[in-house]
Amino acid sequence: MSKNILVVKNLRKVYDDVAVVNGISFEVGKGEIFGILGPNGAGKTTTLEMIETMRPIDGGTITVDGIDVAKHPDAVKRVIGVQPQAPAFQDKTKLKELIELFAAAYGEKVDYQEFLDDVQLGEKKDAYAESLSGGQRQRLSIAAALVHSPKVFFMDEPTTGLDPQARRNLWELTQHIRDKGVTVVMTTHYMDEAELLCDRVAIMDKGEIIALDTPKNLIKALLKRGFKKAQHVEQADLEDVFIDLTGKALRD
Amino acid sequence: MKKALYTVYIFTRLSTRRFFRDRLAIFFGILFPLIFLFVFGSISGGNGAPTYNVAVINQSDSAFSKTFVKELGKSDVLNIKDGINTVSDANDQMGKGQLDATIILPKNFGDVSSKGYPTGQAKVSFTQNNEQAGRGLGTALEGQFAQMNQKFTKVDPPLTVSTQQTNQKSLTAFDYTFAGLLGFAIIGMGIFGPINVFPELKKQGILRRLHTTPLKVWQYFLSTMLSQAIIGMVSLAVMFIVAMLVFHLKVVGNYLEIAIFIIFGIISILGIGLAIGGWAKNERQAAPLSNIVVFPMMFLSGTFFPRYLMPDWLQHVSALLPLTPIIDGIRLLTTQGMHFVNILPQIGLTAAWTVVIYVIAFRVFRWE
Repeated sequence: MSKNILVVKNLRKVYDDVAVVNGISFEVGKGEIFGILGPNGAGKTTTLEMIETMRPIDGGTITVDGIDVAKHPDAVKRVIGVQPQAPAFQDKTKLKELIELFAAAYGEKVDYQEFLDDVQLGEKKDAYAESLSGGQRQRLSIAAALVHSPKVFFMDEPTTGLDPQARRNLWELTQHIRDKGVTVVMTTHYMDEAELLCDRVAIMDKGEIIALDTPKNLIKALLKRGFKKAQHVEQADLEDVFIDLTGKALRD
Repeated sequence: MKKALYTVYIFTRLSTRRFFRDRLAIFFGILFPLIFLFVFGSISGGNGAPTYNVAVINQSDSAFSKTFVKELGKSDVLNIKDGINTVSDANDQMGKGQLDATIILPKNFGDVSSKGYPTGQAKVSFTQNNEQAGRGLGTALEGQFAQMNQKFTKVDPPLTVSTQQTNQKSLTAFDYTFAGLLGFAIIGMGIFGPINVFPELKKQGILRRLHTTPLKVWQYFLSTMLSQAIIGMVSLAVMFIVAMLVFHLKVVGNYLEIAIFIIFGIISILGIGLAIGGWAKNERQAAPLSNIVVFPMMFLSGTFFPRYLMPDWLQHVSALLPLTPIIDGIRLLTTQGMHFVNILPQIGLTAAWTVVIYVIAFRVFRWE
């Protein structure tokens, strides 16, 4: 078995004769935070969905923790946790019940309090999911995805639409999850997020990986090619001003 | 296996709780059928001047008897049903509650006696449930005869009436209405529930999210079935109580058998909802298909009006609809005091439909 927990080889997905994912390969090591970046339609989500057993694989292979995704999707489901792009929960169900529900989907019984506390929602255990803010819903979704102690955790654009405080909170949460030994694979549109969080990133475009390295190395390589920013870079930007003025504390 | 059933247990518990937290669901699941019960119960309970559905069986050839039958036809108290020519036909119809009573003119009725005027005894036959109708009718006839008798003679009334009760129990119109309304409630919960809920769950990606877990379709279906059965029992129990208190429904059957059969019916019909809702990607796919399936059952299975009012060929066709044996079975168990052994055809047809429906439901289910 490879020491890499996720191994993707020549992965292909074709829709209507168009290769949405065109023979990509990459590996993710245990305990890494791995980012998949790219413009809309690059094939990021399709790639994630194939790894998550949600889409049939048209070509190539994926193994998660040594398990072949195409052959043993149910076994793979037990070692992965999934955070969807826009998490939604059935209404009229309390947070503690939702944690119970997701654990039950794996046949497990868990202490919901512990999982809710982990994402700072312990006090809301009796609230309904529909009363949560966007950031809270993302956190609930993360808690729900971790109930079965997965080895790999997939996040699809987790911070889209969140305010700066909620984003920062989610970054901390992501690092916290990694520190517990869970490998994280995420997609994002935000380069600052990828630069700060990801150990390595793959940049996808038109179904192919066009660059794969640590953020630092990618930046170095660009500078080597003689790149210069058009604008003079200040020591701080508007987001720093915003956070300085409004603080880091969560608002929801 | 134990773990797989724990999954079903938690899912069942939560979806049952959700129902009772949802005011809209309670309205459509429990109050809505009750409103129908009040509306249709009041109609079929009937008030105002009594009219009797009767059959007239004339076994006599006398001219008097023929005139007499003609005269009876003009009465606005009597609604004479055509085409019933034998006593056994009439008894059969009375047993089904379609006739209130039968007027029998025996063979020598109206024959002219040696005294020069027609004599004879008309018989009025009726069932236990129709004692009132029978006696009323007897009295009405007696009145008419008394007038005629006076014309013929002043002594020794030659024409008299005897009334006679058969040993049969018959159904009231409400008995039919009630079983039909239970069928309506079952459709409401079993079909309209899932076809509204599933497309919404798909739209929000909730089912898809569940699909990233090892949850199986059968676990999801089974938990939906169990929770619908629980909710259905509550809803139908309320209808039974109201029907008994307000509309004097007499339940003569075995409650356990009735409950088991109703659960069976709910699960069977729920399969239709699971199939349509599970297949449809969105409301636009679900709505037309459910209408195609629901409307024929709503009007032909005896939901709002009894099937015996339909022409024969339609009765034969509608007998095969999935809801028909359920409504018939409920009525036979509840108001006719029958047992499972007596309704094997209904049980068999429902079972066959259940298998067909669920095979389809499992095949067409989509998580997104």
